[in-house]
Amino acid sequence: MKLFAHVNAYSVDETIKLLAKYEGTAKLNAGGTDLLGVLKNRILPNYPEVIINIKSIPGLNTIEEDEEGINIGTLTTLADIIASPVIEKNYSLLKEAAGTVASPQIRNIATIGGNLCQDTRCWYYRYPDEVGGMIKCFRKGGKTCPAVSGENQYHAIMGAKKCFAVCPSDTAIALIALGATLTIAGAEGTRTLPVEEFYTPLGSVLNSGEMIAAIYIPKPSSVAGQRFLKFTLRKPIDFAIVSVASIITHDQGVCFDARIVLGAVAPTPVRALKAEEFLKGKELSEEIAAEAAGLAMAEAKPLSKNAYKLEIAKTLVKRLVMGLT
Amino acid sequence: MKDYRFIGKSTPRKDALDIVTGRTKFINDLTIPNMLYGKVLRSPLPHALIKSIDTTEAMRLQGVKAVLTYKDVPDWKAGFPHHVRILDSKVRYVGEGVALVAAETEDIAEEALRLIKVEYEPLPAVYDVEESIKPDAPQLYDQFPGNVFPQDNVVFGPHTLNEVVIGDIEKGFEEADFIVEGTYAYENIPNPLPPESPGVIALWEGTDNLTVWLASQGPQIFKAAFQRRMGNINLQSLGNPVGGSYGSKYMSWQYALPAVALSKATGKPVKFCYGKAEHLAAFTLRLGSRIHGKVGMKKDGTVTALSGDWLVNSGSFSEATQGMVAVGCGEAQLMLRCKNWSFIPKMVCTNRTASGQVRGFGGQELKCALTPILTMGMEKADVDPVDFFKKNYVKAGDGFYWRDGDWWVCRGIDYSNAINQGAETFGWKEKWKGWLKPTSVNGAKYRGVGVGVHGNADAGEDVSEVYVRLEPNGSAIIHCGIAEHGTGQRSSICKMVAEVLQLPLDRVYVTPTDSLVNPIEIGPVGSRGTYAIGGAVIAAAEDAKRQLFELMAPKFKVKPEDLETEDGMVYVKGKPDKRIPWIKEMQYYGSIMGHGRFESDFSIPNFMMIFTEVEVDTETGKVDLIRVVGTTDVGQVIDPLSLTNQLNGCLGSAGIDSAIFEETVLDTRLGRIMNCNMIDYKWRTFSELPEMEHSILETPFPTHRFHAIGVGEITPSPGPSAVLMAVSNAIGVRIHDYPLTPDKVLSALGKIGSPMRRE
Repeated sequence: MKLFAHVNAYSVDETIKLLAKYEGTAKLNAGGTDLLGVLKNRILPNYPEVIINIKSIPGLNTIEEDEEGINIGTLTTLADIIASPVIEKNYSLLKEAAGTVASPQIRNIATIGGNLCQDTRCWYYRYPDEVGGMIKCFRKGGKTCPAVSGENQYHAIMGAKKCFAVCPSDTAIALIALGATLTIAGAEGTRTLPVEEFYTPLGSVLNSGEMIAAIYIPKPSSVAGQRFLKFTLRKPIDFAIVSVASIITHDQGVCFDARIVLGAVAPTPVRALKAEEFLKGKELSEEIAAEAAGLAMAEAKPLSKNAYKLEIAKTLVKRLVMGLT
Repeated sequence: MKDYRFIGKSTPRKDALDIVTGRTKFINDLTIPNMLYGKVLRSPLPHALIKSIDTTEAMRLQGVKAVLTYKDVPDWKAGFPHHVRILDSKVRYVGEGVALVAAETEDIAEEALRLIKVEYEPLPAVYDVEESIKPDAPQLYDQFPGNVFPQDNVVFGPHTLNEVVIGDIEKGFEEADFIVEGTYAYENIPNPLPPESPGVIALWEGTDNLTVWLASQGPQIFKAAFQRRMGNINLQSLGNPVGGSYGSKYMSWQYALPAVALSKATGKPVKFCYGKAEHLAAFTLRLGSRIHGKVGMKKDGTVTALSGDWLVNSGSFSEATQGMVAVGCGEAQLMLRCKNWSFIPKMVCTNRTASGQVRGFGGQELKCALTPILTMGMEKADVDPVDFFKKNYVKAGDGFYWRDGDWWVCRGIDYSNAINQGAETFGWKEKWKGWLKPTSVNGAKYRGVGVGVHGNADAGEDVSEVYVRLEPNGSAIIHCGIAEHGTGQRSSICKMVAEVLQLPLDRVYVTPTDSLVNPIEIGPVGSRGTYAIGGAVIAAAEDAKRQLFELMAPKFKVKPEDLETEDGMVYVKGKPDKRIPWIKEMQYYGSIMGHGRFESDFSIPNFMMIFTEVEVDTETGKVDLIRVVGTTDVGQVIDPLSLTNQLNGCLGSAGIDSAIFEETVLDTRLGRIMNCNMIDYKWRTFSELPEMEHSILETPFPTHRFHAIGVGEITPSPGPSAVLMAVSNAIGVRIHDYPLTPDKVLSALGKIGSPMRRE
């Protein structure tokens, strides 16, 4: 592994100052489960000179609840999120999503902030340098996306233009369904942003001088049904082929509110707005669920090898609406 | 059945405590003073000529001790026939070595690689086995025109089996009630992926002394193969505990030769261990196998004729492809008692990382492509596959051509009882509803069952030679070059000697796997550990015992054959009260050396059948493995847990899961293997195991001291085709494209178009 400088930060302010000092040549290390693999395989054109360890910042791993919602520190581990009684009681969607990430060992050190900021799993993007050199794809400043006419079985079926890699975060879609917002710290102070607006086709709106400091989730209605489904080839370990998170409120079978978010189908998480709108006021049945699933995926245009993802996405949305597994 | 003191009893593995407490030292745990680290610069192109290499800058980097290119590596050639150089002026797959670096640290070696400048002249590449043999295809080797590897006499002798031609094929088809024909393939080239990636330390001292520490299933094979090729040097090969091999780390030259070359160049020990990405993208995989076949069958399931072209995709070189084809051809005959054959293999090279030895050794690859043709016939005949396999599996008195090209007549047992008991354990009669019929349906979830069979006559392959040394203090040392590659076989041979000599197990030891101490040992491969190596071990112990009794007999004034020994004491049979310790006659300074030898015997095939039950989600295409039952007859269990573990090992190591999700994904525009990490290479984790149960029969084999036969190698091999059958039955549609990932299942169900294939 190539050498880098390692700096401990002890506060968010200090982190922001360090980021400014190293002018885009530094990377943050919250848990390292994604970062170390990226460094070891040397997949990036520019190797970072400095790793800023933020695990040393005290107080960023807390879960605080008030009547309006909860505030989760960016360094809270996925294991702590899963174990939190507060999250289990009112925000079970996040618990379910976090519980499907990786393995227990990884969840013990992986953080919620890191899970949101992790890099895509596209195997062209991730191709290791040591076996013939990394691949300079569109995401790394190259001209094309090799997945378009290549091995695209795990790639985007909708919403992609230049890069067909998908956003791998399971917790992101849960947080979007829950209407969560991020507190982002930067040189200009802090700003808040809905998680829904965080992602861009090539990553996120976070610039190289910023970090996520906290995640805020407003308390959902106690009668809203929170559900999460994730399709993988292997139950543990795998990233989603398709994942779906939903909050659906219904009264005696009639839906009056729905938020449905899909993961791993597009470069960013996708809100199924048409399906949400369609469901409102409808009596839930298999036909209605199937129609909603069709609407959710109406804009999908699969590539040569991933039409199956469309079928799976429709099935998952349908099952979610129906309350099936 | 005889009640033994150790044989068949559960005894702790001798190395178990060290392994589970982390004290076992694997290759990467070893360091030797002044040791350097080796790294390989790997080709970005699947096929290219090297126009120039500039190593000046890399050599200048502080800590770099050697940079080697094709111009300065020794000209040792490997493969069959000898054709693979350590580095060549031409690269034939992405990931092939272009330059070697030895440096003081791994990090320095890695940085040095980046300073080497290479100019390539790209050549067109070919990946598909049939494209490769077309007249206008890019040619990989000057000496192999048409990209076809010749048969090689070195592999298994001058008559090495390279086809199955028996009887009168035309007449056989005339006798058939119907004929089925088709093309099927097993080409997902899974990686057996032992947890420990390949690794070696090499030390070249003086002009002609070489020591290699190898994480290999057969460390002495390296010496046997290369000592002469390196100029009759003094070569000592040392085996190390091996973190799994599954056949793939048997031929160790791929990883050993670069380290040896670097050590020769620097005069220092050089460690070279593959990383996971290299292991997945630039090490050997399973063979690709495609069969255009035709089968003639009678209504009762009698196979009257089998003809076919077997296209074997060996990738960029042949590590032992001729051997695997020979054994595969032999194993096909064990599975099918057919009188008329015309089965012709062709071994082809293509521009991807090579296919090498993997457990199943040609037979699994052949069977995975052949069985779908047979099942077409079974379906037409409406024959239950269990009945079909029972009827057609080799029986005593049946003949077959084995790998050496000789005609062997089976002296083994009838495995029908094992088949019956396996079917009973699995509940086959209740679950089998007929061809293309699900066992049960629950909403979108359809269950189906399937069965597969495999057997190998290599359980008695090759010569083994062993010494057993008795020491006066009442202990025994086994001089045997057997490696411990994870199965516990080194412990099991101690049990055999302890049983023969009636010694406590903790007084029996095995020498280190050191070629200077032990006779040549080809190693625990092809299930030969129990029968072949075990045969030599037992013979050596018996020989030592005979010498001991000859020495002690005068003392008792009886004939040697009237004596018994137990716990290091000798007594007259029937008079156990008067015991004399060995030391009384052997003296402090004496020892007894027994010699044992096993000669090849291919007349005793082993047997494995696997039953599988799967559940298919017809809306997502997901296939879940629900239950696996393995059945076999081993004559006599040597060590119950070791055997069960071998049977449980049927899932991974490119076994059953190669029908479910294990595959190597090759981008054929770039020639790159895309899933070269442990997330994208779908390797089953321990938290997702199916229900497993095995039926293990013990019908004594008269040909072995303990009436046993080995079965370890073949346990995964019947599995993949059994899964195809189970999924086909579950969804009511024939499906045969390994592995059965959701895209293929949904396509078979007509829910999506067929996934585009680009070759």
